[in-house]
Amino acid sequence: MSRLAETTVPDEVLTQACAGVAQARAAIYAAVAPATLTLIRRIVGERAVAEDIFQDTMMTLYERLPQFRREAPLGAWLRQIAIRGCLMHLRSPWARARQCLDALEPTALSERGFTTPCYRAEAIDVERALATLRPTARAVLWMYEVEGFSHAEIAREFGRSVSFSKSQLARAHARLRAWFEPPEEHHSCTLI
Amino acid sequence: MHSDLTPPQALTQVLRALPGELAQPYDFAEFERRAQRQLQAARRRSAGRRIALAAVAAAAALVVYLRGFGPAAPPAPLALTAPAQAQSVPAGHPEVLDHWLAALPREPAMVQVGPRAAVTGLEDRIAQVDDLLSAARVAQPPPARLLALQQERTQLVGALVQVRYAEALVAESR
Repeated sequence: MSRLAETTVPDEVLTQACAGVAQARAAIYAAVAPATLTLIRRIVGERAVAEDIFQDTMMTLYERLPQFRREAPLGAWLRQIAIRGCLMHLRSPWARARQCLDALEPTALSERGFTTPCYRAEAIDVERALATLRPTARAVLWMYEVEGFSHAEIAREFGRSVSFSKSQLARAHARLRAWFEPPEEHHSCTLI
Repeated sequence: MHSDLTPPQALTQVLRALPGELAQPYDFAEFERRAQRQLQAARRRSAGRRIALAAVAAAAALVVYLRGFGPAAPPAPLALTAPAQAQSVPAGHPEVLDHWLAALPREPAMVQVGPRAAVTGLEDRIAQVDDLLSAARVAQPPPARLLALQQERTQLVGALVQVRYAEALVAESR
């Protein structure tokens, strides 16, 4: 998986894109779009929501491109825009209301057939494990483990304390451990 | 001690090894088309808000003027300065304006609280003046009094037309 933060675009392409050259803008889009969508999707989970945030992120990118100082790779700068978009979504009343509703049905994912003991023992599906995390915990986990943010940086992005970041990460780890580690009483699913 | 804050390196590796999006969600042309649509929608919302605010401000100013100073001056002709492509409003005569107002739908598609309050306030005031006019016609008051009431009614109807016209513009712009 190519990481967004490491994505670079040649200087001349950036200059042309700032001048409004459509080909240069398209080249930037082609270079960053897949990794940007991947990052957003990992944080917010749902594909449809991720596409909306992706659209806004790319619009912000082109709008603010003249302000890009080129001290870091374009991808690292874009990553900040994308993560802020994701966190704004997670903080929105709509997303919070949905989280509350999801919390009322904690077994929803299990009911969709993801927690059959034999299935868990035989196939560790990381994507499904991530889907069981609360959105905030998933965002903290991804930012810390994959994007390399420190707890202080995560706390700043969320506008919360460092303890918040640590506790969210601890919860995510505990949840993932419970998912990955086979239950003590392993039920066989062999058909007789 | 948070033992789970220092997870095995494997988790990071597993997460980083997850497959990413192989392609763009949609091509650049589609991105530009969506961006254009979003910008147009934002512009329309902004214009609608400006028109509604202007209408409310105009109606409020007129009501304040009427309550504070009374109908001393002769009624000004209605000067609607809305865009030409919008639905046309009949000018001038009170009966024609009454008819135009009656022809409008009772409840526009979307009405903000501000304009709605102004509309009901104006409608109430027109009803009061109508009552006064009816009573005055029976009591045979001096012609100047009757004229003043008629002028006040004309001004109120004019204000109501402006507010409803602004509402119609906002509804069209959506």
